[in-house]
Amino acid sequence: MLHRLFVEPFTYPFMARALAELLICGTLAGTVGVVILLRRLAFMTDALTHTVFPGVVVGHLLSGDSGIFWGALAAGLLTAILLTTLTRRREVAEDTALAVMLTSFFAVGVVMVSRQTGYTADLTAFLFGRILTVTEAQLLQSAVVAALVVALLAVLRRPLLARTFDPEGARAVGYRIGLLDLAINVVVALVVVASVRAVGTVLVIALLIVPAAAARAVSDRLVVIVPLAALIGALGGWAGLATSYEASINHGLRLASGGTVVLALVAFHLACLAAGTARRHRRCTAMVPVRPAVAP
Amino acid sequence: MITLTLDQVGVSYGSARALDSIDGTVHAGEAVALIGPNGAGKSTLIKAILGLVPVASGRITVLGVSPDQARHHMAYVPQADTLDPDFPISVGEVVLMGRYRRIGWLRRPKRADRTAASRALEQVGLAERARDRFGTLSGGQRQRVLLARAIAAEPRLLLLDEPFNGVDAVSEQALLDAITGLKSGGTAVVISTHDLALAHLACEGVCLLNCCQYGFGPAAATLTPERLRATYGGNALELRGDRVIVAHS
Repeated sequence: MLHRLFVEPFTYPFMARALAELLICGTLAGTVGVVILLRRLAFMTDALTHTVFPGVVVGHLLSGDSGIFWGALAAGLLTAILLTTLTRRREVAEDTALAVMLTSFFAVGVVMVSRQTGYTADLTAFLFGRILTVTEAQLLQSAVVAALVVALLAVLRRPLLARTFDPEGARAVGYRIGLLDLAINVVVALVVVASVRAVGTVLVIALLIVPAAAARAVSDRLVVIVPLAALIGALGGWAGLATSYEASINHGLRLASGGTVVLALVAFHLACLAAGTARRHRRCTAMVPVRPAVAP
Repeated sequence: MITLTLDQVGVSYGSARALDSIDGTVHAGEAVALIGPNGAGKSTLIKAILGLVPVASGRITVLGVSPDQARHHMAYVPQADTLDPDFPISVGEVVLMGRYRRIGWLRRPKRADRTAASRALEQVGLAERARDRFGTLSGGQRQRVLLARAIAAEPRLLLLDEPFNGVDAVSEQALLDAITGLKSGGTAVVISTHDLALAHLACEGVCLLNCCQYGFGPAAATLTPERLRATYGGNALELRGDRVIVAHS
């Protein structure tokens, strides 16, 4: 049963490529998600997923599917720089700046895509992804982005930890906070760009936030949280894709793969929340002092 | 040996003058308390010494060079309650952060780094809590962990921002003992506080601040009723014989 559900579908090359893409993106997004969670950058990340949208559209208009990655990359990097600059200035509140950027960039994308003849189909593909049509060249792009991001995080892990835990203390020892913030915004932009094809601009936020939140629910230690978030990201991708295939092919129930992946991640999150609550309850029970025996 | 020199230091935020004409020296092994009401510029002066806010006039030198050049010889202890108590980090990991500049970006911590971190934690009396999550400690204990992080960096100038705020008696004594230990090792210490009694206990010198300087020198000679009244605006001061009580608004 498990073999039929989780292995057999991926004997088809298009399904194997889709799985490889989701494993790369899930692992990567899970890892980067921990930084987003600890820095409380979920809204910033959500803004970034939307601002990438016009880049996706322009890339597609210029050179079809192969242009999506480069268009998204350009928009993502531009956004990362703009966000870093805007959030360091104090004239405009950070959330206001993010909201204005999010909506204006997204509106530009919608206006551009609405001029296409296949408007609805294109919009749906950009918003919710088209994982089953991933090519080997696109897989390679994702793998290169993943290697780049992992290398960057490995090099910057100590300054990033110091900056995230105590920004003032990190500045005092000489870390360049502005550059670190730019680096992390670029990293998030790269992960969004790499994952956009798999799950679309709307659902990519789930890939970045949910695995990290799930891992945080069951552990207080970063050395556990980071690998666990990466594992949950990858397993969520696998389980979602397998479920989508099984429901569509063997049960005649068409399930969109991107949405099913997100639902699988949410299921993992709920399970982790339950496990975390049970763990805390056990700890509290163990800590209740034993009442001394009352002398007769 | 002079560790810190403040020479007519002025700091501005835009057009607003936050500090004006601050003058004084701190020697190796000596502690100076920055005393003044809220908003007097105590934290601003600490940030200026750290090189985090630009000096608009005058000059700050640390070990004979500018703060930027002396950064590796300075350590800073922020207020513990400004940090996220939910952050998933252990006490030992926080203290090891004090060694990050020595460890570098890529290599693993050496035995010397781990030993320095353990010793620092022992100095603040929390050696047995190394594996606990930082956020599970009390406010006073967290403050001690942050001091241990600074001790692990082996600084020649230590700057503490209101370290005794909301700290219980046990932690207060542990902080005082650790600061005394650092001073005996030749570290110069600057502490911002509005607790006059603790300033007396921990520091040889005081600097009375309220945007400008109302006194800098030995605690006994500088903490006079007149100077305190001038620093705090006079109306929040009560005198009972030779005792001074400052009421904060």
